[in-house]
Amino acid sequence: MEFGFTKEQEKLRKELHDFYANELPEDISGVPALSKELQDFWMGLQRKAGKKGYLAPGWPKEWGGLGLGHIEVGIANEEEGYWGIAWPDGIGLHIVGPGLHLFGTEEQKKRFLPEISSGEKVWYECFTEPEAGTDEANQQTRAVKQGDKWVINGQKIYITGGYKPDWLYVEARTADTIPKHRGLTLFCVKADTPGVTVTALPCMGGYRANIFYFDNVEVGDDAIVGQINQGFYHVMATFEFERSNTAGAARAKRELQELIQFCRETKRNGKPLIKDPMVRRALAKMAIDIEVLRLAAWRTAWRFGERKRLGPLDFDLTGLFSRLNAMSHPNLKMDILGTYGQLRMGSKYAKLDGSIERGWQVTRSYHYAGTMEAIKIVLAGRVLGLPRIPAKLNTTIMKALQEKEK
Amino acid sequence: MNFELSEEQKMLKKAAREFLENECPESVVRKAEDSDLGYPPELWKKAADLGWLGLIYPEKYGGIGMNILDMAILYEEMGRALFPSPHLSTVVLCGLAILEAGNEEQKASLLPRIARGELVMALALTEPEATWDGKGWLPQGVTMPATPEGNNYIINGVKLFVHDALAADYLLVATRTRKNRRAADGVTLFLVDAKSPGISYTVLRTTAGDKKQCEVVFDRVKVPAKNIVGKLHGGWPTLERVINIGAVLLSAQMVGSAEKAMEMAVEHAKTRVQFDMPIGIHNWVQEYCIMAFADVQGTRNLVYEAAWMLSEGIPCDLEVAMTKARANEACTDAHWQAHQVLAGVGFTTQDGVLPLHTKRGKVWQLYLGETDHWMEKVAQQIEKWPPPEKPKGKPLGIFNVPEDLQAPHWDVWANQIKNKGKLW
Ligand SMILES: Cc1cc2nc3c(=O)[nH]c(=O)nc-3n(C[C@H](O)[C@H](O)[C@H](O)COP(=O)(O)OP(=O)(O)OC[C@H]3O[C@@H](n4cnc5c(N)ncnc54)[C@H](O)[C@@H]3O)c2cc1C
Ligand SMILES: Cc1cc2nc3c(=O)[nH]c(=O)nc-3n(C[C@H](O)[C@H](O)[C@H](O)COP(=O)(O)OP(=O)(O)OC[C@H]3O[C@@H](n4cnc5c(N)ncnc54)[C@H](O)[C@@H]3O)c2cc1C
Repeated sequence: MEFGFTKEQEKLRKELHDFYANELPEDISGVPALSKELQDFWMGLQRKAGKKGYLAPGWPKEWGGLGLGHIEVGIANEEEGYWGIAWPDGIGLHIVGPGLHLFGTEEQKKRFLPEISSGEKVWYECFTEPEAGTDEANQQTRAVKQGDKWVINGQKIYITGGYKPDWLYVEARTADTIPKHRGLTLFCVKADTPGVTVTALPCMGGYRANIFYFDNVEVGDDAIVGQINQGFYHVMATFEFERSNTAGAARAKRELQELIQFCRETKRNGKPLIKDPMVRRALAKMAIDIEVLRLAAWRTAWRFGERKRLGPLDFDLTGLFSRLNAMSHPNLKMDILGTYGQLRMGSKYAKLDGSIERGWQVTRSYHYAGTMEAIKIVLAGRVLGLPRIPAKLNTTIMKALQEKEK
Repeated sequence: MNFELSEEQKMLKKAAREFLENECPESVVRKAEDSDLGYPPELWKKAADLGWLGLIYPEKYGGIGMNILDMAILYEEMGRALFPSPHLSTVVLCGLAILEAGNEEQKASLLPRIARGELVMALALTEPEATWDGKGWLPQGVTMPATPEGNNYIINGVKLFVHDALAADYLLVATRTRKNRRAADGVTLFLVDAKSPGISYTVLRTTAGDKKQCEVVFDRVKVPAKNIVGKLHGGWPTLERVINIGAVLLSAQMVGSAEKAMEMAVEHAKTRVQFDMPIGIHNWVQEYCIMAFADVQGTRNLVYEAAWMLSEGIPCDLEVAMTKARANEACTDAHWQAHQVLAGVGFTTQDGVLPLHTKRGKVWQLYLGETDHWMEKVAQQIEKWPPPEKPKGKPLGIFNVPEDLQAPHWDVWANQIKNKGKLW
């Protein structure tokens, strides 16, 4: 067992640390990326980091990465987290890229991976639908083969993104099967393909999501990633590949440092906030929660390094701990600020640049990429081996419903 | 970063699991509850034969020179089996204090006997008032005077919550020998024969229902000056260090116990049928199992990290404090979750091991520092954290724009925000 890092790993950390420290403007604040200037800045930084291989340090060099191991990737994630960086193309880097690595054709890899790792493009993930949230396999968006084209029709909702997308990673139904998981396929769709339209869906805390409509959108066979009707399984396998999120704890720790500084400088009833026993207790609780999260994330990173992907008896508690923290920390922080906690960025009396208020709002979104319950269902079934409602029963219910509809 | 146990550690874990499953079933734990000693001497002797009592002592004192991380792995197994023994008191709290601060003669005469299982010791630290004031594990709490008289010291006062006092051959007693300085300056440790004239013991009836803890009254007890362990007035740093180590190992023990409770819950959830289905099919019951699982795994990582740092000699006051603070909550929480799943059978004390875990879990939570104590220690450490580093790039002046005033970039957004009312 070993909880430290090697000299080379520390060197890499320093390199990344200094790169971001010098590239990020000193007046930066974590505003939602919407204005043109801001988006230009972040896209510019993404390209710069891409040139150095920092965006995808774990990818092989031939695809624009640095060919580093999982611990090194974890270090890169930590630095991104510490500096509050969320890449415009997070989806390309963390969902599409790994998917293509695992299931893409050689041609697709050549075409897409270098673009993604160099930070040139923005991808959106179009999975969720009004009737297919947690029950992802319930997707109704259809892709039908007509001649040598696939024609896509349907609607995708809650699709993250404020940047202009270049590509959409779309999951669509290609067969009516029972169980329904066996009839989904993955497509790469150029965002400006005729028939793609979009509506903005503003969310809490300035978060940007969208609704995408697909109206007779045509793509070729070369748009398909992996096998036809295997899309659902490809997505699941991708989620289990290379997923270690050390950024969250690094970012949370930085935010806690900021709050501690505030508590040192700010007096209540003539005493610095940091001397208030209730405040101390809240700060200590958050520090412990963050350390628990940090170690859980590192454990997963290490596990991937050993095994490449999680085995059936393995587990990743990063998602669970980060959601538990999201439930309690923003409230604890707001309580420390007292009545000022509600003031938003730009308000005359806002503390800490309104960051805590913004964080509070944005954490109401912590069901993206799987709700807390979805995570627990996986833990219960796959890790603890607890009984599940038999698939047969599900099928029986589904058949009965279909009969009724007829 | 590497979370893998070494081959040696895996062997230790496996051997400990097998030994305790065979030698320390529930019946042994129950029987020990009623005995004054608090443990079966045969079992203690066998543990000595396995090398558990000298595990972290150097070979020259009869030990096998393993480290605190190895010990933590053993403690998980001891917690899992509720191994009734004075191990923490004897080997860790007293033994390590002697190893760290004792003179050569003390080390050479005491440590090999501990390692062979011939000597049991107990730490007499907390005092009635101190414990109530929340200073039980702080130097301020040590007020019991030891007054010089010729070549001896006279100890007079009361120590409370002394674990394994009835079993002990020697007590390691924290006394105050100098006042009016910093609290940490003026604490002296004495090695006291447990049968010395003037010492009396009263068993404290506690949640655990055993006779492990005592009030120990010192009525003008005479101790030779040569029995001082470490420096006169300089005992606190040693105590602080062994409390830190003890707290991490106790946390490991709590993780082991919590894991056992979690496994019992999962097993019960799979096999208990109500409403014609296993109860574990319900999300509520799954929730209990999952939260217990998260308690175990989350705390285990903390324990390993702190134990590793202690073993490597890396300063880790923060990590130690985090570990015990979280273990205190996680262990009792996991026990609670298990009770939810086991319902009726978990509440009966005649058969079923869960109540034994639950009750000890509560005692361990309160031992070597309650949650408040360690949360405050965490606060003292993070209070010293520097503010986060500021980036150094040239300012752009494009931030701090309230989002409703930002000029949207992507046309879709631009148009829609312009025509707000129409499109939404
Ligand atoms: C900020 C944000 C960004 C997102 N970005 C994207 C994106 O880029 N691309 C994309 O495709 N999607 C995206 N999503 C969608 C996200 O994946 C879904 O919101 C999520 O899968 C949950 O689906 P839902 O909102 O329809 O909730 P539902 O599935 O309707 O769930 C409602 C509640 O029921 C619970 N529930 C559902 N089924 C079960 C069950 N079997 N057992 C127990 N409880 C259950 C859920 O856990 C939840 O609490 C995003 C969502 C958010 C909030
Ligand atoms: C102190 C005490 C006094 C008692 N006194 C009496 C008495 O005087 N007379 C008497 O007749 N009985 C008495 N009981 C029995 C008591 O009513 C049962 O313990 C209780 O009904 C639970 O049953 P069980 O223990 O068999 O747990 P189980 O029914 O096995 O339940 C185990 C767990 O599964 C959960 N569970 C079960 N079914 C479902 C479901 N469908 N959905 C979700 N979760 C589920 C339960 O909530 C529980 O968490 C007493 C019990 C105790 C502990």
